[in-house]
Amino acid sequence: MSEEGIVVAQVGDIDEGEGIQIEAAVLGTVDNVAVFNDDGEYFALDDTCTHEVASLSEGWVEDGCVECPLHAAKFCLGDGSVQSMPATVDVYPHRVVLDGDDIRVIPNPERLA
Amino acid sequence: MSTNTGTAAGAVVIIGAGMAGYTAATQLRKLGHEDAITLVDAEPATYDRPPLSKNLFEEDFRIEKLAFATAEDLQTMHIETRFGAQVMQIDPAAGEVVLADGDTLRADTVIIAMGGSARELPIPGADLPGVTTLRTFDDALELRNSVTAGTRVAVVGAGLIGAELASALRLHGAEVTLIDPMEIPLLPAVGELLATHLHAMHEPRGIRVVTGLTSEFAESDGGLVVKVQDGPEITVDRIVVGVGLVPNVELAEAAGLDVDNGILVDETHRTSAPNVYAIGDVARTRDSAGTLHRREEHWEAAQLSGVEVAYAVLGQEIPARGASWFWSDRHDCHLEATGRLSGPGVVVVRNAGDHPAVFLVEGGLLQGAASVNDTQTVRAARRLIDQRIPVAEGELADPNVSLRSLLKQKR
Repeated sequence: MSEEGIVVAQVGDIDEGEGIQIEAAVLGTVDNVAVFNDDGEYFALDDTCTHEVASLSEGWVEDGCVECPLHAAKFCLGDGSVQSMPATVDVYPHRVVLDGDDIRVIPNPERLA
Repeated sequence: MSTNTGTAAGAVVIIGAGMAGYTAATQLRKLGHEDAITLVDAEPATYDRPPLSKNLFEEDFRIEKLAFATAEDLQTMHIETRFGAQVMQIDPAAGEVVLADGDTLRADTVIIAMGGSARELPIPGADLPGVTTLRTFDDALELRNSVTAGTRVAVVGAGLIGAELASALRLHGAEVTLIDPMEIPLLPAVGELLATHLHAMHEPRGIRVVTGLTSEFAESDGGLVVKVQDGPEITVDRIVVGVGLVPNVELAEAAGLDVDNGILVDETHRTSAPNVYAIGDVARTRDSAGTLHRREEHWEAAQLSGVEVAYAVLGQEIPARGASWFWSDRHDCHLEATGRLSGPGVVVVRNAGDHPAVFLVEGGLLQGAASVNDTQTVRAARRLIDQRIPVAEGELADPNVSLRSLLKQKR
């Protein structure tokens, strides 16, 4: 299982309540991917808000959601579903596994370039 | 009243499918309301308005893109729609809403979310061809189609919509003159320092800023002339007036509801008729002490009122609302503000980067905050306000102290 996915960061690289942006080329995905630390749990979503162009990795992370830095649309970190307007379309989620200190992202097959 | 299912709310007719009305409809379904919901609007769709003054010249500016939901989405949620339909009459006692095409909708509960109309200037020439306002998708589309690089446009009113529109027009290549009677518009909304900073962005980007009261529009050879009291005469091709909103209260008034610059509602958004509610821009709260509040003409306030009215209509407790919040996009800048930035308190300024952030502190508690291209500060400030976490002025002024860390520390 340890070979699954791509190592994008180490535990400790992403502060609690923050996100980082992983470029699409690293993961072979169509969009950049945002990886979040919500209270020690890691999540990954497509990075671009479905409302207007903004990086969710710069959003506000709290209680299992990320709030877009631009117009505060909210998405569930677990499944990318829209929780609050102005977005009306979900973002794609990606799987994250912890392998020791490695944070690995397994790209969503539907989002491979 | 209700026939056989669910709640006492019964069949709900929502008049107005903007942010407030659409949210009310979807929130009613989320809360399990099973009876009919009908969303009525004279507009052709349920759509978002903030992009009208910001994105109107973008390539992909279509109503489908602004729509909150497709016809299919609405069907899935069992929300009936009557788009393109004008409401002629609301009859609270009979529980009826009458449409211009003669149809009568049965309504155990009516939610009025009709918003407002753009205010027109009471001056000569206000109705000349080429003088318009911006409120609907069609207004924006018409402007988009008639302005090209070099078109001379006067924007009268430098508030949120005027400033955003001036910025979008300029970016599109128009020759823009922005006119406002106030030396510094937006002062009550974001405080003097930031209001000055924002207003000063227009001129370096090629917008001519004129301070003065617009007194007349007139036709002239090959164009229109804007006359400004004690100021210049400005010759343009187009005039857009953005001087605020007039709530659409006529139907409510005719229905006998209490109205005073807005449909008067209590804290549960209920009007003077027990089965009629009003939300969004059209509504004005008169609290239990009888105090009239200002109408809140912001996007999020409309959204929250839509959520809240669904709870109220269903007889459920309304979730508490936190500090207000709004944004504005102009000149590649993203402004956000929360809470109040005028009134009693001490103004604290944080100077970092290109734009200052401002805070208002009273009694050791944060009352409001605004920032440009720094949303984390306002998002954190909002939580500091809502959770009544004490703040030190020195920390707020220090660009090395993130507000988020203050929130974490003190939580």
